[in-house]
Amino acid sequence: MTPKKLKFLAVALSLSATAAACGGSSDAAPETGTDGAAGGGDLSGEIVISGSSTVEPISIAVAESFAAENGEANIQVSGPGTGDGFLLFCDGEIDISDASRPIKDEEAQTCADNGIEFVELKVAIDGIAVMTSSENADVECLAFGDLYALVGPESTGFSTWSDANDLAVEAGGNGDLPDAELVISAPGTESGTYDSFLEIVFGDIAEERAQEETTRPDYSSAADDNVIVETISSNPTSFGWGGYAFAVEAGDSVKLISISEEAGGECIQPTAETIASNEYPIARDLFVYVNKAKAAENPALVAFVDLYLAYGLDEAVSEVGYVELADEAKAEAIAAWEGR
Amino acid sequence: MATPTVTKAGTDVDILSGLRRKSDIGGVLFRWLLLGSLLFTLVVLVVLLGQVLIDGWPILGSRLGDFLSTGLGSKPETSGIVQGLRGTFYLCLITAVVAFPLGIASAIYLEEYATRGKFATFIDLNIRNLAGVPSVVYGILGLTIFVKGPGIGAITGGSTPFAAGLTLACLVLPVVIITSAEAIRGVPTQLREAGVGVGATKWQVIKDHVLPYAAPGILTGTLLSVARAAGEAAPLILIGSVTGFMSGHPAWWDVGQVRESFTAMPIVITAWARQPQEGFKVDNAAAAIVILILFVLLLNSAAVVLRNRFEKRREG
Repeated sequence: MTPKKLKFLAVALSLSATAAACGGSSDAAPETGTDGAAGGGDLSGEIVISGSSTVEPISIAVAESFAAENGEANIQVSGPGTGDGFLLFCDGEIDISDASRPIKDEEAQTCADNGIEFVELKVAIDGIAVMTSSENADVECLAFGDLYALVGPESTGFSTWSDANDLAVEAGGNGDLPDAELVISAPGTESGTYDSFLEIVFGDIAEERAQEETTRPDYSSAADDNVIVETISSNPTSFGWGGYAFAVEAGDSVKLISISEEAGGECIQPTAETIASNEYPIARDLFVYVNKAKAAENPALVAFVDLYLAYGLDEAVSEVGYVELADEAKAEAIAAWEGR
Repeated sequence: MATPTVTKAGTDVDILSGLRRKSDIGGVLFRWLLLGSLLFTLVVLVVLLGQVLIDGWPILGSRLGDFLSTGLGSKPETSGIVQGLRGTFYLCLITAVVAFPLGIASAIYLEEYATRGKFATFIDLNIRNLAGVPSVVYGILGLTIFVKGPGIGAITGGSTPFAAGLTLACLVLPVVIITSAEAIRGVPTQLREAGVGVGATKWQVIKDHVLPYAAPGILTGTLLSVARAAGEAAPLILIGSVTGFMSGHPAWWDVGQVRESFTAMPIVITAWARQPQEGFKVDNAAAAIVILILFVLLLNSAAVVLRNRFEKRREG
């Protein structure tokens, strides 16, 4: 009995032992170039970029252009999300963190605790488009108050657009919403687009009305902007918001709603121009954060950021569908980098 | 109460004619229901395959070679899947090398050596449960042990095909053990008895008779499980495969890349499907799906071919 049981254990143990043995033999050969700082030589260093999936396409475009010129450089770009990016960044595991929002205080604190100094560079503007189906002729322009009344914390249970009318007027909106079914499709709490929308649109109203800065819990959220656009285009009385780049790619299947900050205010249609000039009110800045210490010891990283601030800001940003910074903002970013 | 009494002979006739005549409505309905289910499954499959083929055709028809030989990029028309293919190839290789010997050895032990008792039942139950654990959970396990585990992390090199392959090996191990054990269980007892009868030791019986006899079943199960590993995205996301861009194009045979950062087909597909541009989310993603399906089909047909060869040898 007992010896048999021991044999079971032996099998279980051999499982892990064999795995370890496998590991030993396989790692014998390639012992080089594992721990980051393989740098030195002319621009052959390693550059690891991670963070926001919104900023990822810009970084990919710059990385592609950099790799084409510096064949020896080893660059990787990933997009797990802004929060995950900062987690890796403040652990010192990556060189550049892409972010669709500024670094939070507690994240900056983690970085400081780990002795990681960084430069914050604004690289582009991303508009957030409020959308409905192109078949919905009744809605052209919405004020912040209307948006708050449609999806804010006090809107739970509203099943038609007109249900929100009274609340919209109270919250400083126009309140002439149509009597049609309200089908909401929007990002969920895990998304940076969600956070930015709440902060810009609900911030003041929620504070005034002593409400939490959140949305109604009863709508279908999607992590993927393509899914949101799809849902909106297939429901004639839909409502939602998502990245401007996604809305533009969707073309005629969705309608971009003009936005005014106050009731009766000027309705601004989101376009590259109105977003760049800050006229369109719902837009957020996109950033990259560069690890100072790594830049000091890795010439490839410096050259890469230089390219980011030139080709990246001037061409890559608009190529991948975001809005270029105004010239002053570009100059500011370059100055911030030079003054590191 | 009102049931008529029937003779034995009468019942026989009734059953037979009942099957032939239309009176057996339930049976006929059931048969059509079964056929309907089969057709439904087929239609879903055909529609899915047709849709990805149509979506991916602009790529597959015009720049297939280019698509298969370039890496990730910023524009749909210049991006390709070579890095994803290489990653998936090495993942499958590592998974097979680790999971096959371990799984088959465990199965032999469980079937041939272990005495049936509470402990064996307990182990069996656990393995069966493990086979149903969601793959994300294995991703977390892989992240904790193979990527960040003290000691092991240094051996695997962190977020590498090596670590991911070990994780996928853990993922498929229960399935490999179960299918191998079933195959071994299917070997006729007389074969073992005959072996022992002519004086062979237990090990000789297993090596020369049981394993060759069970080989077709074992192979089918194990290769199918590797095909499953090839399609997994969830564990790889946790392990940290690259989603956007990788420079450097090591050759296919450069084994050193198992300790470098990596990407894989399912990751490339998900990353592209999330992009705003039609070129990425429709054309490129669909083309990559077609290639992944072909890759898996290739593995599966290898399983069939190998099984047939072993079966022939067994009969011959």
